[in-house]
Amino acid sequence: MTAATRARGRPPFGAVLGFTLRTCLPARRWWTLAIPCGAAVGFGLLSRLSDEPADQAFATVADVGLFSLLIPIACLVIGDAVLGAELRSGTFHFTFLSPAPIWTIVTARWLGGWIVSLVTLVPAMALAAVVAQSPESVPAIALATAAGSAAYVGLFVLIGCVTRRTAVWSLAVVFFIERLLGSSLTGIAQLSPMWEGRAVFAGLGPGTDDLLRDGLPEGWAAVVRLAIITAVTLGLACWRLRHLRLTGSSD
Amino acid sequence: MSALPPPGEPIIDPAFAPGATVEVNDVSVWFGPKVALSELSCSFGPGVTGLLGPNGAGKTTLMRTMTGLLGPNTGSVRVMGRDPRADRSVQQSLSLVPEDEAVPAGVTARQLVRYVARLHGVGDRGAPDASLATVGLTDVADRRVGGFSKGMRQRTKIAAALVTGPTVLVLDEPLNGADPVQRAHLITLFRRLGAEGRTLIVSSHVLHEVERLAERQIVLLRGRLAAAGDHRAIRDAMADRPRRVLVRTRSTRALAGALLELDAVASVAVDGTEIIVSSTRARDIAVALPRLARSLDARLDEVRPLDDSLESMFRELVR
Repeated sequence: MTAATRARGRPPFGAVLGFTLRTCLPARRWWTLAIPCGAAVGFGLLSRLSDEPADQAFATVADVGLFSLLIPIACLVIGDAVLGAELRSGTFHFTFLSPAPIWTIVTARWLGGWIVSLVTLVPAMALAAVVAQSPESVPAIALATAAGSAAYVGLFVLIGCVTRRTAVWSLAVVFFIERLLGSSLTGIAQLSPMWEGRAVFAGLGPGTDDLLRDGLPEGWAAVVRLAIITAVTLGLACWRLRHLRLTGSSD
Repeated sequence: MSALPPPGEPIIDPAFAPGATVEVNDVSVWFGPKVALSELSCSFGPGVTGLLGPNGAGKTTLMRTMTGLLGPNTGSVRVMGRDPRADRSVQQSLSLVPEDEAVPAGVTARQLVRYVARLHGVGDRGAPDASLATVGLTDVADRRVGGFSKGMRQRTKIAAALVTGPTVLVLDEPLNGADPVQRAHLITLFRRLGAEGRTLIVSSHVLHEVERLAERQIVLLRGRLAAAGDHRAIRDAMADRPRRVLVRTRSTRALAGALLELDAVASVAVDGTEIIVSSTRARDIAVALPRLARSLDARLDEVRPLDDSLESMFRELVR
């Protein structure tokens, strides 16, 4: 064995980020991710069947199909892949047993996941707006998807640190807490990536009057809210990871 | 159980190593109702220490606790004086090779070892390749580890652990899946690392390999410390458990009868030209046997202890 010399002060952030992008999304996950991305374009085409003006029809489709279904599911695939799946498989010790600070590990993992969502989900949503013949919606849907997916990936990274049954709990959070409770309780919606992402689009997109909701910030204010949600989820994930008992894949 | 030193020497608890780099103080770990470790205290110093115990004894839990993957419910662990859970800088000097077969499937062996090197801030760019060469993986370094055999995965994990130049190396069943040539190579490597002054803690079910590898053993039973020290000293300390001695002679009946007269002999079994003598006072047998043989004019073709190995010590402990 060679005597390994240390290069102090070199941040491991880049190493964790590179590893996340290279390793955490195997081919199967990419194919799984292709389904919601393809479905988004399908929803865009579907909106052309509506008698409403194109912008309004796309806003309706974005509300029921994109924000409520596809973005959460796609982000679940990504968010689980970047941390929860590795915790379950028993390979996380390669990263955890290092001098890298916990916050570096969590933020690099989250950033890796967010980058994946930016290069897959955002173009798919923008393409959905284009095929829906609502090109004016492209900037708003792209921004809403980018900000919403940042918060969602953070949320699913946190859930991955809390439970091994990430998919079950994540779907429960999305459909029971966000969708069911969030639709009736504004206090829940204010903390929900789904509702806040929708509010970004409602505040900035054309033909989105029906999507506006009292008690929720809109447009850029919702972007700020999503940034705060992201920061809080990552902070909680750091705290949780610091106290996690890693028992390996066999236990 | 501890091995007692010869009279006149100070009594040193063999559970604690001189110049300890890893200290386990009164550690208990439980998972719900299941207690994995119970008030365990021991320490590990430079050299190779074998960690033994039957399945479920708590070896893997102890190794995970020592490296900081698990926090103890009570008690404390110190690695080079620091808490591996609270002070992540200690990970600079600590490496684990876990028993888990799992490896990140999408990367090559070289990428994985480089990743670990970068995380630990290893500046020597040649270190990953040197580490892969040490475990004999140079030829397959650019193949994805997901397609590796069990033994190759194990060696990849060992390369990833070695690349950081750890002072403390914790190896959970490191020889699993390795072929005989690789096993011999790895044993030589571990012995060399121990001789360099590194602390190696090795668990294995293959006891004769641990016997070759480790100069000191820690034995766990049901989460508690059952024995510590050199296995021969441990065996000597188990004075209440009879030791078996094989005596080969042509005068089996006469010698067996004479042996049965001795107070020190618990039982005698005769099989052809072999006598197997059981005794809790093997030293007395060693003194009496030549005298008896002379008096009976019996020739002793062979006299050999049957349970001086690590395996027999272990079997006695877990019985």
